[in-house]
Amino acid sequence: MNTFPFLIPILISALATFLVRALPYYASFLDRLPRFLSKSLRLLPIAALGPLIFPGVILDFQEHWYAGLIGILCAAFIAYRKNSIIIPILLSILVTYLLLL
Amino acid sequence: MEPETLHRLTFKQGCQEGFPIFVGYFPTAMAFGLVCRDLGMRIWEAVLFSVTNFAGSGQFLAANLIGGGALLAELFISVLLVNLRYSFMGAELNRNLEKGIRGWRKALLAHGTTDEVFSVAVLHREPISKEYLAGLELTAYSGWVSGTAVGFLVGMILPPALQLAVGVTLYAMFSSLLAQEFHQKGFMVLAIVGISAALNSFLILQCSLAIGWSFVISMLAASFFGALTTSDSEEVL
Repeated sequence: MNTFPFLIPILISALATFLVRALPYYASFLDRLPRFLSKSLRLLPIAALGPLIFPGVILDFQEHWYAGLIGILCAAFIAYRKNSIIIPILLSILVTYLLLL
Repeated sequence: MEPETLHRLTFKQGCQEGFPIFVGYFPTAMAFGLVCRDLGMRIWEAVLFSVTNFAGSGQFLAANLIGGGALLAELFISVLLVNLRYSFMGAELNRNLEKGIRGWRKALLAHGTTDEVFSVAVLHREPISKEYLAGLELTAYSGWVSGTAVGFLVGMILPPALQLAVGVTLYAMFSSLLAQEFHQKGFMVLAIVGISAALNSFLILQCSLAIGWSFVISMLAASFFGALTTSDSEEVL
Protein backbone atom coordinates (compact mmCIF):
# COMPACT_ATOMS: atom_id res chain seq x y z
CA MET A 1 0.00 0.00 0.00
CA ASN A 2 3.03 2.27 0.44
CA THR A 3 3.27 2.70 -3.32
CA PHE A 4 -0.04 4.55 -3.22
CA PRO A 5 -0.07 6.43 0.11
CA PHE A 6 -2.98 8.62 -0.94
CA LEU A 7 -5.37 5.96 -2.13
CA ILE A 8 -6.85 4.89 1.22
CA PRO A 9 -7.26 8.47 2.58
CA ILE A 10 -8.97 9.54 -0.65
CA LEU A 11 -11.40 6.65 -0.44
CA ILE A 12 -12.06 7.23 3.28
CA SER A 13 -12.91 10.84 2.51
CA ALA A 14 -15.15 9.69 -0.36
CA LEU A 15 -16.96 7.28 1.94
CA ALA A 16 -17.62 9.97 4.57
CA THR A 17 -18.90 12.32 1.86
CA PHE A 18 -21.14 9.71 0.28
CA LEU A 19 -22.64 8.67 3.62
CA VAL A 20 -23.89 12.16 4.44
CA ARG A 21 -25.22 12.54 0.91
CA ALA A 22 -27.08 9.25 0.80
CA LEU A 23 -28.45 9.48 4.35
CA PRO A 24 -31.42 11.79 3.68
CA TYR A 25 -32.60 9.64 0.78
CA TYR A 26 -32.97 6.63 3.03
CA ALA A 27 -33.77 8.14 6.46
CA SER A 28 -36.15 10.95 7.37
CA PHE A 29 -35.21 11.75 10.97
CA LEU A 30 -33.27 14.81 9.76
CA ASP A 31 -36.55 16.71 9.45
CA ARG A 32 -37.29 16.16 13.12
CA LEU A 33 -34.04 17.19 14.83
CA PRO A 34 -34.27 19.55 17.82
CA ARG A 35 -34.01 23.15 16.69
CA PHE A 36 -30.76 23.88 18.50
CA LEU A 37 -29.06 20.88 16.95
CA SER A 38 -30.16 21.57 13.40
CA LYS A 39 -29.09 25.19 13.78
CA SER A 40 -25.65 24.13 15.00
CA LEU A 41 -25.30 21.70 12.13
CA ARG A 42 -26.14 24.39 9.60
CA LEU A 43 -23.41 26.59 11.07
CA LEU A 44 -20.72 23.92 10.72
CA PRO A 45 -19.45 24.99 7.26
CA ILE A 46 -18.94 28.55 8.51
CA ALA A 47 -17.29 27.37 11.73
CA ALA A 48 -15.00 25.15 9.63
CA LEU A 49 -13.43 28.15 7.90
CA GLY A 50 -11.56 29.30 11.02
CA PRO A 51 -9.52 26.13 11.62
CA LEU A 52 -9.06 25.68 7.87
CA ILE A 53 -7.16 28.97 7.74
CA PHE A 54 -5.49 29.24 11.15
CA PRO A 55 -2.84 28.50 12.25
CA GLY A 56 -1.87 26.86 8.92
CA VAL A 57 -1.54 30.04 6.90
CA ILE A 58 1.04 31.36 9.39
CA LEU A 59 2.94 28.12 10.09
CA ASP A 60 3.32 27.07 6.43
CA PHE A 61 5.56 29.99 5.54
CA GLN A 62 7.83 29.68 8.58
CA GLU A 63 10.07 32.75 8.88
CA HIS A 64 8.00 34.55 6.22
CA TRP A 65 4.84 34.07 8.32
CA TYR A 66 3.38 37.38 7.13
CA ALA A 67 3.50 36.39 3.43
CA GLY A 68 0.50 34.08 3.50
CA LEU A 69 -1.36 36.31 5.93
CA ILE A 70 -1.10 39.39 3.73
CA GLY A 71 -1.93 37.23 0.72
CA ILE A 72 -5.22 36.02 2.18
CA LEU A 73 -6.14 39.49 3.43
CA CYS A 74 -5.89 40.73 -0.16
CA ALA A 75 -7.97 37.77 -1.31
CA ALA A 76 -10.64 38.44 1.31
CA PHE A 77 -10.79 42.12 0.40
CA ILE A 78 -11.34 41.43 -3.31
CA ALA A 79 -13.80 38.60 -2.63
CA TYR A 80 -15.82 40.91 -0.40
CA ARG A 81 -16.08 43.54 -3.14
CA LYS A 82 -16.53 41.17 -6.07
CA ASN A 83 -18.42 37.91 -6.07
CA SER A 84 -15.53 35.90 -7.43
CA ILE A 85 -13.17 33.22 -6.12
CA ILE A 86 -10.55 32.80 -8.83
CA ILE A 87 -9.41 36.45 -9.03
CA PRO A 88 -8.81 36.70 -5.26
CA ILE A 89 -6.88 33.42 -5.34
CA LEU A 90 -4.66 34.51 -8.23
CA LEU A 91 -4.05 37.86 -6.58
CA SER A 92 -3.07 36.27 -3.29
CA ILE A 93 -0.62 33.94 -5.06
CA LEU A 94 0.95 36.97 -6.72
CA VAL A 95 1.15 38.96 -3.47
CA THR A 96 2.58 36.00 -1.54
CA TYR A 97 5.08 35.34 -4.33
CA LEU A 98 6.30 38.95 -4.21
CA LEU A 99 6.60 38.86 -0.42
CA LEU A 100 8.64 35.66 -0.54
CA LEU A 101 11.16 37.04 -3.06
CA MET B 1 -51.10 32.10 -8.11
CA GLU B 2 -52.69 31.16 -11.40
CA PRO B 3 -52.44 27.55 -12.42
CA GLU B 4 -50.04 26.90 -15.28
CA THR B 5 -49.25 23.73 -17.11
CA LEU B 6 -46.17 22.27 -15.54
CA HIS B 7 -43.94 20.54 -18.07
CA ARG B 8 -41.58 17.78 -17.12
CA LEU B 9 -38.02 18.99 -16.58
CA THR B 10 -35.68 17.57 -19.21
CA PHE B 11 -32.04 16.43 -19.34
CA LYS B 12 -31.20 19.28 -21.72
CA GLN B 13 -32.64 21.85 -19.37
CA GLY B 14 -30.55 20.37 -16.58
CA CYS B 15 -27.40 20.73 -18.70
CA GLN B 16 -28.25 24.32 -19.58
CA GLU B 17 -28.84 25.31 -15.99
CA GLY B 18 -25.68 23.44 -14.99
CA PHE B 19 -23.46 25.45 -17.32
CA PRO B 20 -22.95 28.44 -14.98
CA ILE B 21 -22.00 25.94 -12.27
CA PHE B 22 -19.48 24.37 -14.67
CA VAL B 23 -17.92 27.80 -15.21
CA GLY B 24 -17.74 28.41 -11.47
CA TYR B 25 -16.36 24.99 -10.58
CA PHE B 26 -13.63 24.82 -13.20
CA PRO B 27 -11.20 27.38 -11.69
CA THR B 28 -11.89 26.23 -8.13
CA ALA B 29 -11.14 22.66 -9.18
CA MET B 30 -7.94 23.92 -10.84
CA ALA B 31 -6.90 25.27 -7.47
CA PHE B 32 -7.63 21.85 -6.03
CA GLY B 33 -5.50 20.16 -8.71
CA LEU B 34 -2.65 22.51 -7.78
CA VAL B 35 -3.01 21.64 -4.10
CA CYS B 36 -2.92 17.90 -4.88
CA ARG B 37 0.24 18.31 -6.94
CA ASP B 38 1.72 20.29 -4.07
CA LEU B 39 1.03 17.36 -1.73
CA GLY B 40 2.88 15.00 -4.06
CA MET B 41 -0.06 13.17 -5.58
CA ARG B 42 -0.03 11.76 -9.08
CA ILE B 43 -2.48 13.12 -11.59
CA TRP B 44 -4.73 10.06 -11.49
CA GLU B 45 -4.90 10.32 -7.71
CA ALA B 46 -5.98 13.95 -7.92
CA VAL B 47 -8.62 13.09 -10.53
CA LEU B 48 -9.79 10.08 -8.53
CA PHE B 49 -10.11 12.41 -5.53
CA SER B 50 -12.51 14.67 -7.42
CA VAL B 51 -14.36 11.78 -9.08
CA THR B 52 -15.08 9.98 -5.82
CA ASN B 53 -15.57 12.98 -3.51
CA PHE B 54 -17.05 15.79 -5.65
CA ALA B 55 -17.15 18.12 -2.66
CA GLY B 56 -15.62 21.60 -2.71
CA SER B 57 -14.60 22.52 0.82
CA GLY B 58 -14.76 18.89 1.95
CA GLN B 59 -12.04 17.98 -0.52
CA PHE B 60 -9.86 20.93 0.38
CA LEU B 61 -10.21 20.00 4.03
CA ALA B 62 -9.38 16.36 3.31
CA ALA B 63 -6.31 17.37 1.27
CA ASN B 64 -5.23 19.65 4.10
CA LEU B 65 -5.58 16.87 6.67
CA ILE B 66 -3.86 14.29 4.46
CA GLY B 67 -0.99 16.73 3.94
CA GLY B 68 -0.76 17.24 7.70
CA GLY B 69 -0.53 13.49 8.28
CA ALA B 70 -3.88 13.13 10.08
CA LEU B 71 -5.15 9.72 11.16
CA LEU B 72 -7.82 8.07 9.03
CA ALA B 73 -10.35 8.39 11.87
CA GLU B 74 -9.68 12.12 12.15
CA LEU B 75 -10.05 12.43 8.40
CA PHE B 76 -13.31 10.48 8.34
CA ILE B 77 -14.97 12.47 11.13
CA SER B 78 -13.78 15.87 9.93
CA VAL B 79 -14.96 15.27 6.36
CA LEU B 80 -18.25 13.88 7.64
CA LEU B 81 -18.87 17.00 9.73
CA VAL B 82 -17.89 19.56 7.13
CA ASN B 83 -20.13 17.83 4.57
CA LEU B 84 -23.09 17.33 6.91
CA ARG B 85 -24.92 20.15 5.17
CA TYR B 86 -25.42 17.80 2.20
CA SER B 87 -27.75 15.77 4.39
CA PHE B 88 -30.04 18.77 4.80
CA MET B 89 -29.89 19.65 1.14
CA GLY B 90 -30.56 16.02 0.23
CA ALA B 91 -33.57 15.91 2.54
CA GLU B 92 -35.02 18.97 0.80
CA LEU B 93 -34.20 17.68 -2.70
CA ASN B 94 -35.69 14.30 -1.88
CA ARG B 95 -39.01 15.96 -0.98
CA ASN B 96 -39.16 17.60 -4.41
CA LEU B 97 -37.94 14.63 -6.40
CA GLU B 98 -40.43 12.76 -8.59
CA LYS B 99 -41.54 9.48 -7.10
CA GLY B 100 -40.26 6.07 -8.05
CA ILE B 101 -36.49 6.68 -8.29
CA ARG B 102 -34.60 4.06 -6.37
CA GLY B 103 -31.57 1.81 -6.22
CA TRP B 104 -28.33 2.81 -7.94
CA ARG B 105 -30.02 5.71 -9.75
CA LYS B 106 -30.90 7.28 -6.44
CA ALA B 107 -27.40 6.66 -5.08
CA LEU B 108 -25.86 8.33 -8.17
CA LEU B 109 -28.19 11.33 -7.88
CA ALA B 110 -27.28 11.60 -4.19
CA HIS B 111 -23.56 11.60 -5.10
CA GLY B 112 -24.14 14.67 -7.27
CA THR B 113 -25.59 16.85 -4.51
CA THR B 114 -23.55 20.03 -3.99
CA ASP B 115 -24.40 23.49 -2.64
CA GLU B 116 -24.74 24.95 -6.13
CA VAL B 117 -26.65 22.03 -7.65
CA PHE B 118 -29.03 22.15 -4.71
CA SER B 119 -29.71 25.87 -4.92
CA VAL B 120 -30.44 25.69 -8.67
CA ALA B 121 -32.60 22.55 -8.48
CA VAL B 122 -34.86 23.64 -5.63
CA LEU B 123 -35.90 26.77 -7.49
CA HIS B 124 -38.27 24.68 -9.62
CA ARG B 125 -41.89 24.31 -8.64
CA GLU B 126 -42.32 21.21 -10.77
CA PRO B 127 -41.24 17.86 -9.32
CA ILE B 128 -37.56 17.37 -10.09
CA SER B 129 -37.19 14.63 -12.70
CA LYS B 130 -34.24 12.28 -12.68
CA GLU B 131 -33.27 13.35 -16.23
CA TYR B 132 -33.11 17.01 -15.25
CA LEU B 133 -31.14 16.36 -12.08
CA ALA B 134 -28.78 14.02 -13.95
CA GLY B 135 -28.11 16.73 -16.57
CA LEU B 136 -27.55 19.39 -13.94
CA GLU B 137 -25.25 17.21 -11.85
CA LEU B 138 -23.29 15.80 -14.79
CA THR B 139 -22.52 19.28 -16.12
CA ALA B 140 -21.34 20.48 -12.72
CA TYR B 141 -19.42 17.23 -12.20
CA SER B 142 -17.56 17.48 -15.51
CA GLY B 143 -16.45 21.01 -14.61
CA TRP B 144 -15.12 19.83 -11.28
CA VAL B 145 -13.29 16.75 -12.57
CA SER B 146 -11.79 18.35 -15.70
CA GLY B 147 -10.75 21.42 -13.72
CA THR B 148 -8.84 19.22 -11.31
CA ALA B 149 -6.88 17.62 -14.15
CA VAL B 150 -6.14 20.94 -15.86
CA GLY B 151 -5.04 22.53 -12.57
CA PHE B 152 -2.68 19.65 -11.95
CA LEU B 153 -1.15 19.99 -15.43
CA VAL B 154 -0.76 23.76 -15.05
CA GLY B 155 1.12 23.07 -11.81
CA MET B 156 3.65 20.96 -13.70
CA ILE B 157 4.82 23.88 -15.83
CA LEU B 158 4.96 26.34 -12.94
CA PRO B 159 8.45 27.78 -12.22
CA PRO B 160 9.89 26.55 -8.90
CA ALA B 161 9.89 30.04 -7.38
CA LEU B 162 6.10 30.12 -7.70
CA GLN B 163 5.64 26.69 -6.12
CA LEU B 164 5.90 27.91 -2.51
CA ALA B 165 3.61 30.86 -3.16
CA VAL B 166 1.00 28.48 -4.60
CA GLY B 167 0.78 27.01 -1.09
CA VAL B 168 -1.39 30.01 -0.25
CA THR B 169 -4.09 28.85 -2.72
CA LEU B 170 -6.01 26.85 -0.17
CA TYR B 171 -6.05 29.60 2.43
CA ALA B 172 -6.92 32.23 -0.15
CA MET B 173 -9.91 30.21 -1.19
CA PHE B 174 -11.16 29.82 2.38
CA SER B 175 -10.64 33.49 3.17
CA SER B 176 -12.53 34.42 -0.01
CA LEU B 177 -15.41 32.19 1.04
CA LEU B 178 -15.28 33.78 4.48
CA ALA B 179 -15.41 37.29 3.01
CA GLN B 180 -18.46 36.35 0.95
CA GLU B 181 -20.23 34.74 3.91
CA PHE B 182 -19.49 37.86 5.94
CA HIS B 183 -20.83 40.04 3.15
CA GLN B 184 -24.11 38.09 3.08
CA LYS B 185 -24.66 37.28 6.74
CA GLY B 186 -22.86 39.94 8.77
CA PHE B 187 -20.69 40.02 11.87
CA MET B 188 -21.99 36.78 13.33
CA VAL B 189 -19.88 34.99 10.72
CA LEU B 190 -16.73 36.76 11.90
CA ALA B 191 -17.47 35.91 15.54
CA ILE B 192 -17.97 32.22 14.79
CA VAL B 193 -14.88 32.00 12.58
CA GLY B 194 -12.83 34.00 15.09
CA ILE B 195 -13.68 31.57 17.86
CA SER B 196 -12.96 28.45 15.83
CA ALA B 197 -9.71 29.91 14.47
CA ALA B 198 -8.48 30.96 17.91
CA LEU B 199 -9.45 27.68 19.54
CA ASN B 200 -7.81 25.64 16.78
CA SER B 201 -4.58 27.65 16.99
CA PHE B 202 -4.56 27.26 20.76
CA LEU B 203 -5.16 23.50 20.67
CA ILE B 204 -2.47 22.90 18.07
CA LEU B 205 0.21 25.30 19.32
CA GLN B 206 -0.31 25.05 23.10
CA CYS B 207 -1.76 21.59 23.61
CA SER B 208 -0.04 19.90 20.63
CA LEU B 209 -3.31 18.19 19.77
CA ALA B 210 -3.46 16.29 16.46
CA ILE B 211 -4.80 18.54 13.68
CA GLY B 212 -7.81 16.40 12.88
CA TRP B 213 -9.20 16.30 16.41
CA SER B 214 -8.35 19.92 17.01
CA PHE B 215 -10.29 20.75 13.86
CA VAL B 216 -13.35 18.79 14.96
CA ILE B 217 -13.39 20.26 18.48
CA SER B 218 -13.00 23.88 17.40
CA MET B 219 -15.54 23.54 14.61
CA LEU B 220 -18.17 22.01 16.92
CA ALA B 221 -17.54 24.49 19.75
CA ALA B 222 -17.87 27.48 17.43
CA SER B 223 -21.09 26.27 15.82
CA PHE B 224 -22.67 25.57 19.21
CA PHE B 225 -21.68 29.08 20.21
CA GLY B 226 -23.25 30.41 17.01
CA ALA B 227 -26.48 28.47 17.56
CA LEU B 228 -26.70 29.70 21.17
CA THR B 229 -26.14 33.36 20.38
CA THR B 230 -28.22 33.83 17.24
CA SER B 231 -31.91 34.31 17.83
CA ASP B 232 -34.34 32.02 16.05
CA SER B 233 -35.59 34.81 13.83
CA GLU B 234 -32.10 35.37 12.44
CA GLU B 235 -31.78 32.89 9.63
CA VAL B 236 -28.07 32.29 9.27
CA LEU B 237 -28.46 29.77 6.50
